Amino acid sequence: MNSTMLPQRWILPAAVILLTLGLGACQRVVSIDLNKADPHIVIEGVVTDGPGPYTVSITKTGSYFEPSLVFPTVSGATVVLRDNAGTIDTLREAAPGKYVSSRLSGVEGRTYQLSVVAEGKEYDGTSVMPQKIRIDSVYTTVLRAPDGDRGYNIFVKFKDPPTQENYYRVIVHTNMMPPDSITGQRYLLVSDKLLNGNEATYQIRASRNIDPGDTLTVALFSVDRATYEYYSTLRNILSFDRSPTALAPANPNTNLSNGSLGYFAALTADSVHIVLR
Amino acid sequence: MPGQTRWLPAALLVALLLPAPARSQRTFTISGTVKNAETGEALIGATVVVQELRSVGTLTNAYGFFSLTLPESTYTVVAQYLGFHPTVDTVRLTENRHFDLALSPEPIRVSEVVVSGERLRTNVTSTDMGVKKLAISEVKSVPVLLGERDILKTIQLLPGIESAGEGNTGYYARGGNIDQNLILLDEAPVYNSSHLLGFLSVFNSDAIKDVSVMTGDIPAEYGGRLSSVLDIRTNDGNEKEFGGTGGIGLLASRLTLEGPIVKDRGSFLISGRRTYADLFLKLSSDTTINRASLYFYDLNAKASYRLGDHDRVFLSGYFGRDNFNYPDLFGFDWGNATATLRWNHLFGDQLFANTSLIFSDYRYTNTVGAGTSQYEITSGIQDLNAKLDFEYFPSPRSTVKFGANAIYHTFRPGAVTSGPTSQANDLTLEHRYALESAAYISHELQILPTLKVDYGLRASSFTLLGPGTARTYDATGDLVSTQYYGSGSPIRTYASLEPRIAGTFLLDENSSIKAAYTRTAQYLHLLSNSTTTNPSDLWVPSSNNVPPQHADQYSTGYYRNFADDAYETSVEVYYKSMSDLIDYKNGADLQLNPDVESQLQYGKGWSYGVELLVRKNAGPVHGWLGYTLSKTQEQFAEVNNGNAFPARQDRTHDISLVVMYDFSPTWNFGATWVYNTGNAVTFPSGNYWVDGRLVPYYTERNGYRMPAYHRLDLSVTYNFSTRSNLNFSLYNAYNRANAYAISFRQNRNDPQKTEAVQFTLFPIIPSLTYNFNF
Repeated sequence: MNSTMLPQRWILPAAVILLTLGLGACQRVVSIDLNKADPHIVIEGVVTDGPGPYTVSITKTGSYFEPSLVFPTVSGATVVLRDNAGTIDTLREAAPGKYVSSRLSGVEGRTYQLSVVAEGKEYDGTSVMPQKIRIDSVYTTVLRAPDGDRGYNIFVKFKDPPTQENYYRVIVHTNMMPPDSITGQRYLLVSDKLLNGNEATYQIRASRNIDPGDTLTVALFSVDRATYEYYSTLRNILSFDRSPTALAPANPNTNLSNGSLGYFAALTADSVHIVLR
Repeated sequence: MPGQTRWLPAALLVALLLPAPARSQRTFTISGTVKNAETGEALIGATVVVQELRSVGTLTNAYGFFSLTLPESTYTVVAQYLGFHPTVDTVRLTENRHFDLALSPEPIRVSEVVVSGERLRTNVTSTDMGVKKLAISEVKSVPVLLGERDILKTIQLLPGIESAGEGNTGYYARGGNIDQNLILLDEAPVYNSSHLLGFLSVFNSDAIKDVSVMTGDIPAEYGGRLSSVLDIRTNDGNEKEFGGTGGIGLLASRLTLEGPIVKDRGSFLISGRRTYADLFLKLSSDTTINRASLYFYDLNAKASYRLGDHDRVFLSGYFGRDNFNYPDLFGFDWGNATATLRWNHLFGDQLFANTSLIFSDYRYTNTVGAGTSQYEITSGIQDLNAKLDFEYFPSPRSTVKFGANAIYHTFRPGAVTSGPTSQANDLTLEHRYALESAAYISHELQILPTLKVDYGLRASSFTLLGPGTARTYDATGDLVSTQYYGSGSPIRTYASLEPRIAGTFLLDENSSIKAAYTRTAQYLHLLSNSTTTNPSDLWVPSSNNVPPQHADQYSTGYYRNFADDAYETSVEVYYKSMSDLIDYKNGADLQLNPDVESQLQYGKGWSYGVELLVRKNAGPVHGWLGYTLSKTQEQFAEVNNGNAFPARQDRTHDISLVVMYDFSPTWNFGATWVYNTGNAVTFPSGNYWVDGRLVPYYTERNGYRMPAYHRLDLSVTYNFSTRSNLNFSLYNAYNRANAYAISFRQNRNDPQKTEAVQFTLFPIIPSLTYNFNF
């Protein structure tokens, strides 16, 4: 339960690198020819227990070495969100490829279903909004990195319920910096495999771009198993977290049907703000 | 199946022995041991030839024993072994004779030709295919990384065997995975052969006598892995006088002591090795770093004793540990222990028996955190193994081998023990138990002077035993049911019949064609979350969810010697198909997962190729050139849309050149050059935006290639005397920046741009080692 630890699969490769750096191991930028894949559909939809509207965005993949912040969007799709309380909400395209809800609300315990018909194909996904787990407290201690940088150990306390199979995602950011940029880690994911039913203290090491006086926001998402699996298989392929000896990468495991990339999640969120001293 | 197969070897044996040829003449047996005259060390694979009878001869077995049954007459018996002066004895055979043949080592290879006249052109005449033998003395001047001679790196220079990565002791045999190699140290399986995160193997060359590696025709006495057998035999120790050898290198130092227990009857050997890089860490003023550790040590010990002409006992053991510790953060501790007790017994002069009791244990411990919040993960595998092997030599034309073996495996998949303030709960995954047993028989028969066959059958079975829980899963990997089995009750049994057939047809004195078919079965599987060998790799048994793997291999080849056997050449072609290979479901969680069997998927694989070898054994300039052209593919229903894809280890071209030059008794030179096609790897073919991040998009598995790998290593050895030398090695002499890994990242200055980064492990690395013996 300690994210200051390197992920375990990284320990040995990291050691190999440390060991061989002494012998003059090096890295350099090389040019590689990659195939240009045909554009493929990407659907992303999230329903939270906060107030709507909820957004579903539909885009396409682009070329690897020439990415842009603007990817092709898919307009004119039929996008419907349903819950198991009988709500049916047909989403409105508010901007190209961006579809927003009007009637649906996120309630813990309910099952949500997304259906998309785009370019003649149908894609579906289902997600169950888990019980909301609240953060008990957040506190920090000052961290002195070996290189002299000042940072913080951030401790997030919460109580894991005695039921098995609870999955969490923790997000930390400051008013100055977005998520990832203060911890250098992409997905802070917790499952209760080893801590089921315990008081959990999740420790995060934040050592970059962080100063006294910044407002720190810590959010705890409770997600279902499919969403956890999506995030963890997504994390596996994000280059920062890939060890040099990792197994062959593959697209993340999605709960969407018919070969769509992306995911659909119903999740609950609790967040706490503190001012760093 | 086991019921049926139990009687099969016995029946075959009876069938083989019944049609004994009518004898017009009385026959007698010459038997004994071929030894090193200076140390009494038995020589494995030495040739014993009868000069009067063309092409009649034999090879000594793994204990140096030979037996030749011949008609009554007077014979000239020549024993020879590479690097030794041959002996010539005249034997008047009027009764059974038992004697030892002692060969004196040649100080240096001076003669271009070993003995002219009668020889056994073993490489041409034997039925061995895809079998390479290395005597340790043969490879002493092969240049090595950091001055540490390493047998697992040397065998990677042979055709058909490919390195698993830069500096890695793991290897692929004819397209097989790393876990498909059976590695035996004095008959004990070694479950993790790497030290120091894979850069060195656990085998200390000073303690090793003989190495043979089999990738094609795997004889029936070996089983349990699909793709290859590496049979390593340790030195028995000097039974004449006390002595020692040692070396001081940059990375490690080693010392071996050996001597007689009772002169000419018994000997001992003890050999140790330790690295000392971590001693420099102690000099650091940083209190964290000076408590860190990174070292390994290992110890080989062996004792042998002759209880008379007919009995000899051996006790040998290995113990090694790696320790890698960063205080308050993590620690890794792993190692193997093996012990083998063997008893050789000779029934009469024609039946050689060996009984072995073998223990093998591999374990690792991973500690996380510090103090009272520390927790510890442990895992391991342990074997208890009993083995009985017989070799029967009814005539020089015929050798029968048969035996049986039973292994009781204990798997400890993982346990967590935590300190009082640790938030981790204690957890112990259920231990698994299994009985793996086999019986085999094989018969090597010279049917005609030009035709020899070796046909055999291995019947193997594997039973997963209680106590334990059998779990079943649905298609998505969710647990459906569990059933508990009591102690000793069988959960699931598998059995396999594994025929092994090889034949050699002599075209003329110097050339032959051979063909072989081998079927192999594998009941243990290695799960790894990395492309290299890791201490935390997990061995799992076949079970109700995990089927055994099988392979069928067909091979054929042409063998020819040139220039009075100075050059040995061969061309071998093979096709191998493999079933029930294991791959991991995407995002598989292999660690501490009681449902690890739900994380696997099964597919098939196939590999084919051609291997060329030119080898020169005699003379001051010796070495070999190997070239492999091959293709290896795999197919899994849920990978790559069900389409076949190149295996990671698919290497189109693989070249190894090894040249050793004994310039004078003072100066020896060595050079190796390797080239291989880069590994098949998966790179992205596009990008997309999800959850506020740029995510790579993959279209096909292993659709790209790493850059080709090539490297030249050089070494010079200066011999102060026969007692000591200084070795200088240069690894990667032309400083090729080989790609260990390629990863992709956002450009630091322009985050919108993605760039590929190549990571290179070893630049040019010089090293110096001082070796001595006394």
